[in-house]
Amino acid sequence: MDREFITRGVRRCSTPRFLLWLSPWVAMLLFGAYCAGLCLVKGLNQTNMDNRYAFGLWIFIDLTIIALGAGAFFTGFLLYIMKFKELKAVINSAVVIGLVCYSGAMAALMVDVGQPLRAWFTFWYPNVHSMLTEVTFCISCYLAVLFIEYLPIVLKNRKLRDIPSFLVFEFELHKLIYVLAGVGTFLSFFHQGSLGGLYGVLRGRPFAFREGFFVWPSTFFLFIISAAAVGPSFLILTTWLVEKITGKRLAKDRVFLLLARISGILLSVYVLAKTVDTLIWINRTSPGLGFTASQYYDWKPFGTWILFAEIVLCGLLPALILLTPRLRAQRAWLIPAAALACCGVALNRYVQTVQTLALPTLSFDKFLSYTPSWQETGTFLGVLAYGVLVYSFSFRYFQIFPEERELKIQVRPQQEEEPVLAGRF
Amino acid sequence: MFPWNYGFHFGPASVIFLGAFYTVLVVVATTILNALWRSHGDLSKGRVENIRWHSDFHDLSAADRTCRHVLTGEFQSRECPNAFDCRECGTHAKLIALHPPLAAAEDEAEIFGMSFPLDRMYHRGHTWARPEADGTVTVGLDDLGSRLLGAPDAVDLPGIGSRVQANGTAFRIRKREADVRVLSPVDGEVVETGGVDRGFFLRVKPLDGLMDMRHLLRDAEVKPWLMRELERLQLALTMEGASVPSLADGGVPVADIAAAYPKTDWDAVCGEMFLEP
Repeated sequence: MDREFITRGVRRCSTPRFLLWLSPWVAMLLFGAYCAGLCLVKGLNQTNMDNRYAFGLWIFIDLTIIALGAGAFFTGFLLYIMKFKELKAVINSAVVIGLVCYSGAMAALMVDVGQPLRAWFTFWYPNVHSMLTEVTFCISCYLAVLFIEYLPIVLKNRKLRDIPSFLVFEFELHKLIYVLAGVGTFLSFFHQGSLGGLYGVLRGRPFAFREGFFVWPSTFFLFIISAAAVGPSFLILTTWLVEKITGKRLAKDRVFLLLARISGILLSVYVLAKTVDTLIWINRTSPGLGFTASQYYDWKPFGTWILFAEIVLCGLLPALILLTPRLRAQRAWLIPAAALACCGVALNRYVQTVQTLALPTLSFDKFLSYTPSWQETGTFLGVLAYGVLVYSFSFRYFQIFPEERELKIQVRPQQEEEPVLAGRF
Repeated sequence: MFPWNYGFHFGPASVIFLGAFYTVLVVVATTILNALWRSHGDLSKGRVENIRWHSDFHDLSAADRTCRHVLTGEFQSRECPNAFDCRECGTHAKLIALHPPLAAAEDEAEIFGMSFPLDRMYHRGHTWARPEADGTVTVGLDDLGSRLLGAPDAVDLPGIGSRVQANGTAFRIRKREADVRVLSPVDGEVVETGGVDRGFFLRVKPLDGLMDMRHLLRDAEVKPWLMRELERLQLALTMEGASVPSLADGGVPVADIAAAYPKTDWDAVCGEMFLEP
């Protein structure tokens, strides 16, 4: 039915089967929209957040998916600025993932902030001294850049490029894509940093507060490095996942290996920086604010295991695997390592968001616990469903993996029997 | 946001922050406007077909973009930097000056049972161009192209008086699920249209009296190119799930290859062979 919209030479499932795949995600999206609607109409009393616990599931998820979506800017930077040509095989996927992550994060933020009709206030009356303002500006601009980067992928659709103006615009826009890649890198670099800086400047929260360089706390740099490190790992993970779901090979091994090597190098730099930062925090910053580090880890379930899991289990271990050529060449090692790296960054964002707010800082404070309400969870599930739907549509109708057709020959398990006709060559 | 907004204060922070923000906005907007402006220029100058070909060429696999001088053994490997338009290629001009193309022997007009007459020149998209005595050029599908499409279901030819350009769309052919555009080997104005039965598809008059055909394959270049094309066809058929006999099995391509592979995605095979990825 939709065959003429599908890229030439690639195989996609039948339309009914595709609709069947979409149906649970559409149901989840509708449920998410209902939950978000409740929060927007009735207010944040629908959530389990309060004045003390102002950041919850949504902010944790936002920070995580923005870090994971960093593959978009970092892959664009490596391909268009550093000229790693092999990454052409995954750049479209990286852009779609980036778009999904950033637009999903913006949607969740919009529900969290509330009052969407006044969203423009943040742009019109910006507090230029607030890192949150920088985050808002950078993410909005970068989302716009991602939309523009996504446009050539859409316009390259087989049917759409029959329209001359679309074909020509796609061609001309693609020629200038390196400008957008440069702008995207600049914006991502700063907003990842600002998101980290947001916690590092919380002098009233000694668990999060960090010293740094000039106006930037160390978390500013740690967020940038960690996002750049896990972006390629998340790209490995999603490509592998799509390969498993569709039963197709989508990118050559050398692309996986290159992404793994880049991720491994950056992850090891991050682990080193994080270790130094943690030691400085334990021995100087925190005692200077009147707290010994052990006090933070007395509150269960946030024991020291969380620090070990973040730095060693989900940092050092995957970094070593990704840096070892023999191990990263095997999917059985590569995929768990990439997954661990992604879990590591999620854990870091969880610690920064949830643990920071849970710990008491004043003598009359209590240890707080928080469980998201079903409306919060539903909104998050809606964002997840939205991401799967956008990616599914993109994968079906656009050329997300240019090497797919070339690789088709290598995965065919059994050649179909053709009638043998006399005279064929 | 702006100096006239309530609560706005001029200070280093405002200047740095808003300066960076506006710079980003200006760069993004300029990029979009630039792309739109260039697109407008392309559309008004009629560069659509040129762009379509460059876009298609960019999407071809590296092996399919091989320079013609690799086929003749002058280079070990080289990708064509000019989208198969050797008229713009300095390297091609130098090589032709050093080693003029060898004339092919008469028996080379038949290659693997297919007819490739030496009185015409061949485009890598499986069309040929034959200069006529009246100064026009006849354009047709080469024998391999004809066998790939067999008896077409439909042929969409340009109108008389319309213009075609080298590497632009000459005409469209539909065969089973395949709908392919066939590339024009030459620039010119269509003065006559033919069809499958007439042995040619177009007769084209040069626009400025001269037809530059340096980009087309001729004489001794044809055989090595065709051998490579047969390899490409085998690969394309294999990719689309057909069990393909090797050349060592002998035999010649049948008149209607599509009919021999009824279950194969013929659109993909034709896209590969007619350079439309």
